[in-house]
Amino acid sequence: MLMAPFLNLQLGDRIVTLMAALVLVLQIAMVTQRWIVVHIRIFAAQSLFLAMIAATIAWFNHAPHLYVAAALTLVVKVILVPILFQRLVRRMKINEQIEPIVNVPLSVVIAGGLTLVGYVVAASFYRPDEPGLGHNALAVAISLFLIGFFNLLNRRKALTQVLALLSLENGLFLAAISLTYGMPLIVELGVFFDVLVAAMVLGILVYRIRETFESVDVSRLRRLKG
Amino acid sequence: MTELIMTRLMENAAQLFLLLALAPLVTGVIRTLKARLQTRRGPGILQPYRDLSKLFGKGMVIPETASWIFVATPWVVFFSTLLAGLMIPMVAAEAPLGLFGGVLAVIYLLGLGRFFLALSGLDSGSSFGGLGSSREMTISALAEPAMMLAIFTVAIGAGSTGLTEIAGAAIGQNWRFLAPAQMFAFAALALVLIAETGRIPVDNPDTHLELTMIHEAMILEYSGPYLALIEWAASIKQLVLMTLLINCFWPIGLQPTWFGFGALQGIGWLLAKLFLLSCAIVLLETVNAKMRLFRVPELLAVAFTLGSLALVSTFLF
Repeated sequence: MLMAPFLNLQLGDRIVTLMAALVLVLQIAMVTQRWIVVHIRIFAAQSLFLAMIAATIAWFNHAPHLYVAAALTLVVKVILVPILFQRLVRRMKINEQIEPIVNVPLSVVIAGGLTLVGYVVAASFYRPDEPGLGHNALAVAISLFLIGFFNLLNRRKALTQVLALLSLENGLFLAAISLTYGMPLIVELGVFFDVLVAAMVLGILVYRIRETFESVDVSRLRRLKG
Repeated sequence: MTELIMTRLMENAAQLFLLLALAPLVTGVIRTLKARLQTRRGPGILQPYRDLSKLFGKGMVIPETASWIFVATPWVVFFSTLLAGLMIPMVAAEAPLGLFGGVLAVIYLLGLGRFFLALSGLDSGSSFGGLGSSREMTISALAEPAMMLAIFTVAIGAGSTGLTEIAGAAIGQNWRFLAPAQMFAFAALALVLIAETGRIPVDNPDTHLELTMIHEAMILEYSGPYLALIEWAASIKQLVLMTLLINCFWPIGLQPTWFGFGALQGIGWLLAKLFLLSCAIVLLETVNAKMRLFRVPELLAVAFTLGSLALVSTFLF
């Protein structure tokens, strides 16, 4: 019975595994998305699950400082960043459809392939004799990172590239909390402040790109050459 | 020995009756629920039965250009779907015709019906028939790999492609659908279900608008009893796929045998689970608009990716 390992896991482990799978599904959903606003909401949902993973790990491993990380994720990535971006989309009145460079069916298949790579890489870190929460959390984290990077390359508009960058960062966060049960709190705080500042700065930058070039299509930035 | 044969016959008869009687009801419930959700009154849940009995009483028109394929198709579609229905576990874990084939047989029996429908669409000589056939084949060619991957994930968990073994392995593990591999496979199979039964993001079962119809275009030339057979087969196919989905992934309430008080309990569970799944389908149909035909491959690519992820994560973790 190959299903048995999942059922034999501890409750906390099962919850983390399940949520990590949902995070991965949402990452693939982002690849398929055509509407910027829906894209932002999927990112918010993904971050919500991430916060829930952090809270679960904090509860089952008695690592209270992870609650802070969970709360920060909730505030910054689930509430602040999506609101900021939705306002940006409305204010810039940009075309709300995303035009990916590689077409959607192929992108999805590529994303599936990248997930496979993530699982293969993570398998070499996996030790069955060591108990730990979230068996496939590292695999999901690596896949998030790879798919986020692919998404970053696959988008033309600056705003969607920023979203891809943030989902890539979600992968890093997941790897950090699942491997080490959280970095020291000060590092976490720094990272969150970073994300918030990056999102704001990039938001302003996107707005400036649009002001100067009358488009947020980054392929037009070539005009800088002369 | 005779006793065993008698038991089998009884099981077959019971499941046959359940399939024939329940399929129009499921269609009716979905239609009524959808109407209520859109603040319409709807025709009532018994309307599909009335439609069928009316169609059986009518005469029919057969196109002059049609060959024997046109006449044979309704029978082939109806009986291949029924046969597939007898090979799946509905109330008891043991499928009545489980000895004759597993899940692959079910898929290809449904495929046989689809093949004949597509042929008859071409055979009728109208341009809509050909259009419907080509669309149906395009979609099913994309849906089938996703379905296979999802089914294989389940089959690997049970160590067999026999549906009796799959359902047997699932009994007692009511929450196993929460494992990531099972969840991916479930999502893939649910997307395939939507595509195969012609529900809204892919096809609209209620419309005869020439630009959008798929299934309806193929059977446009059918009338009277033949149309009734095809419609009945379509609703049985929907019931078969829905039952396959819920009993593979959420086997709660599935009984070890068909006999005794347990069977009634099993039927109750089956109805409850079918009702829940119907509610989910109705909700999905109401919040989504029909997709453009060229977008359908994107949906099915997602299903394919989910299916392959399911298979991969079964092996690695």
